[in-house]
Amino acid sequence: MEPVVQFDNVNKSYGKHVAVDNLNLSIEGGKFVTLLGPSGCGKSTSLRMLGGFETPTSGRILLSGKDVTKVPPNKRNVNIVFQDYALFPHMSVAKNIAFGLELKGLDNQAIHRRVSELLELVQLQDYASRLPAELSGGQRQRVALMRALAPDPDVLLLDEPLSALDAKLRQQMQIELKAIQEKTGKTFMFVTHDQEEALTMSDTIVVMNKGRIEQMGDPHTLYGRPGSVFVANFIGETNLLRSTVVGTEGDVAALSWNGITITANPGGLSPRVGEYLYVVLRPEAIHCSAAEPTSGNRIKGKIRQRVFKGNHTSLMVEVGAGTLLNTLVHPSDVAQLNGEDIWVGWNPETATVIPDRHAHN
Amino acid sequence: MRTLLSDAPRASLTAFYWAFILYLLLPLTLMMAMSFKDANFVAFPIGEWTFDWYVKVMQDKQFLEACLYSIMIAAATTLAATTLGVWIAMLIVAEGIRGQVIIFALACLPAVVPGMISAISLRIFISTIDMPTGTAAIILGHTVHAVPFVVVMALTRLRSMPGNLVDAARDLGADSVVAFFRVTLPYLGPALLGGMIFCVLLSIDDFVRTFFLGGYRPTLPMLIFAKVQGGMSPEINAMATLVLVVTAAVGLYAEFLTRRARTR
Ligand SMILES: Nc1ncnc2c1ncn2[C@@H]1O[C@H](COP(=O)(O)OP(=O)(O)O)[C@@H](O)[C@H]1O
Ligand SMILES: [Mg+2]
Repeated sequence: MEPVVQFDNVNKSYGKHVAVDNLNLSIEGGKFVTLLGPSGCGKSTSLRMLGGFETPTSGRILLSGKDVTKVPPNKRNVNIVFQDYALFPHMSVAKNIAFGLELKGLDNQAIHRRVSELLELVQLQDYASRLPAELSGGQRQRVALMRALAPDPDVLLLDEPLSALDAKLRQQMQIELKAIQEKTGKTFMFVTHDQEEALTMSDTIVVMNKGRIEQMGDPHTLYGRPGSVFVANFIGETNLLRSTVVGTEGDVAALSWNGITITANPGGLSPRVGEYLYVVLRPEAIHCSAAEPTSGNRIKGKIRQRVFKGNHTSLMVEVGAGTLLNTLVHPSDVAQLNGEDIWVGWNPETATVIPDRHAHN
Repeated sequence: MRTLLSDAPRASLTAFYWAFILYLLLPLTLMMAMSFKDANFVAFPIGEWTFDWYVKVMQDKQFLEACLYSIMIAAATTLAATTLGVWIAMLIVAEGIRGQVIIFALACLPAVVPGMISAISLRIFISTIDMPTGTAAIILGHTVHAVPFVVVMALTRLRSMPGNLVDAARDLGADSVVAFFRVTLPYLGPALLGGMIFCVLLSIDDFVRTFFLGGYRPTLPMLIFAKVQGGMSPEINAMATLVLVVTAAVGLYAEFLTRRARTR
């Protein structure tokens, strides 16, 4: 199937500053795609280029196969949900939603039908004649979403639309947004700097850093098999074990991490002895026990810090002089770990190995 | 003792305040009172009260014509000044235009140039370009004077406008013209209405520019001036009172509108 959105070698510079650096991206229809990255990494700029509000310095942008690089925003079949909603303050909720439909030249009856249908989708039927100023944050959010969906765009663009909401409402809206995306079958392109938000909603996450794509994939892959130190650090909590290769045998590499010998599966890396590697170990992949585990990597350690987090407890375990591992223990297992001395262990297959790029420089 | 000491400055302030109010209102009150006097000359005591002067004014063809003429000029001035003023304000807030500070300074200049100087220079200007004195010249003069007020009012409102409202309109399929008329203009709306009423009042009130640029047809201030030169009479007081009441009402309404716009 033809991708709905294609960025083809797209660059955008402001003077000497490169905001988007050679972006190549293609997005399939009907997917919830998230651009994730720290503030200033070029997410909004990419979105605004797709919306037609910025022109790429070079490269092409294709929408449903058509080159729209130089097409003005009003002639593109994409709509944006802005961060601060940008609802027209002098128009009622219904008028706001009808705006795009009127400009498409629909007749009054069709407009009325579509507006009611959309209001129903977010249960705002009773608010049709209210002004935006008379709505709560969450309601405004929904109206902005419906206004952008109304003209039936090829892609819906959302630029950090949930960041103005409080935590509780934000979680609720994440679920609702995903449900609306699934119900409408639209392609959503969502921008956020919040990795949890990205993991919750996305079919595909595009991790950006300094104007470039770091990694692209589904949430499970990005979390479980991060392709770079940046991604490993940015998504979820992580232990990064910088280790030297001391020997390899088939799929197993023996590594030395701060003097502790561990094993890992280097995947397709085929590392040489003496080379540096990173082992990415998620806290929940580590098993803490009073008795020595029977298989996998196992290290004796001392509990240095316990942090109660409600549904789990976070243990900081010192496994060597000054070497700490962040581990996650379920409430049912915490009771048996009352002493200071414990064993930590993990299955080598649950850890991901990343090459140390800087070692070659 | 404490109260006496601390109250002394306050009491004197209050006294000054009332004196000032009296100073403001006394001439107006006197003028209004005289308009009800049943005699041919303006002087105390009033003696008999009457509405006759008002009846006379309302039947005065000269007065009615001058009113109509003034309103016509005010309407044209307001239309021209609002269009120009909004356009200039849009230029000043637009991205990627150079010399916005200079545009702003130039647009505001007519508000601070003394009326006399402005009137003389306009008179010289129209005779240079062979434009006759009269209606068109008056409208030109009044417009130049009114534009800065519209610019400032429109600018204040535009600066408070979220930048992406227009983006949102464009995104939903509006070209820049549609976005202007359907989003920017309604957003300016209340502030603009206040500005327009201010234009009307400025124009109706203007004497100096009209005096230099006008033809034979008198506007309201010119008519009253001519009548005063022919000697004071309660009829003039009645005229002035009518003008005062109407303009004050309109002015207060404008103030109410802009206030409401600000709290929205
Ligand atoms: N109009 C602009 N002029 C100059 N620099 C800009 C402009 N817009 C964005 N930038 C810069 O480009 C980079 C990317 O910005 P942006 O796409 O907004 O980041 P993000 O949305 O990921 O936080 C930032 O460093 C920002 O300072
Ligand atoms: Mg941004």
